[in-house]
Amino acid sequence: MDEFQSSEETAFVVDDITTIIKDTVETTIGSSAYQQNRINQWTSSVVETSLNQLSKLGKPFKYIVTCIILQKNGAGLHTASSCFWDNTMDGSCTVRWENKTTYCIVSVFGLAV
Amino acid sequence: MEEFSGEEGSFNSEEASNSVKECIQSIIGEESYRQDTVNQWTAKIVEQALTLLVKQTKSYKYIVNCAVMQKSGAGLHTANSCYWDTVTDGSCTVKWENRTMYCVVSVFAVALTP
Repeated sequence: MDEFQSSEETAFVVDDITTIIKDTVETTIGSSAYQQNRINQWTSSVVETSLNQLSKLGKPFKYIVTCIILQKNGAGLHTASSCFWDNTMDGSCTVRWENKTTYCIVSVFGLAV
Repeated sequence: MEEFSGEEGSFNSEEASNSVKECIQSIIGEESYRQDTVNQWTAKIVEQALTLLVKQTKSYKYIVNCAVMQKSGAGLHTANSCYWDTVTDGSCTVKWENRTMYCVVSVFAVALTP
């Protein structure tokens, strides 16, 4: 029982983090249309709020949150990540979100301390 | 000069930035955006960049992120936020473009606790 508890507290739980990120993006952008003059605030707000929520989880991890916001106009976008880390303890998750005018892609990387 | 001697314990973002620029140039330097090959390009860029960084043999965990976007007038914004040890960890972002596409590569280096 002890081992199970301690591994849960120190594991990178993708589902929890996905939920946190989805809520953050929904709250920040929601149904707003793409606006060039607000986009800066949106990206900053998404990463800062996400990071705040993640650090509140109190797990022994360093976090990196990246956010890409893209206007929907037919342009192609491809992203890739490669990581050199500890496979047993570190993890990542990517959340893709969209509304009528905007795509938002948020990636969270968690590295065990 | 003092900052230079502190290399051992901190991330050298200039060196990483140069390595990444060369990497991008060699893979997509002369190419035009093509939907069927862009997948391979992003994969190659992150793998090569990671290999170059690891060869620097410093005790870091690395994350390399690459975004390639077609130039068609769309607006694109990216942001990063990091919760880490500001003394030993670091990052650098390289923005590159040619006639038909933009490429943004971010490198994050997190120190391995010995």
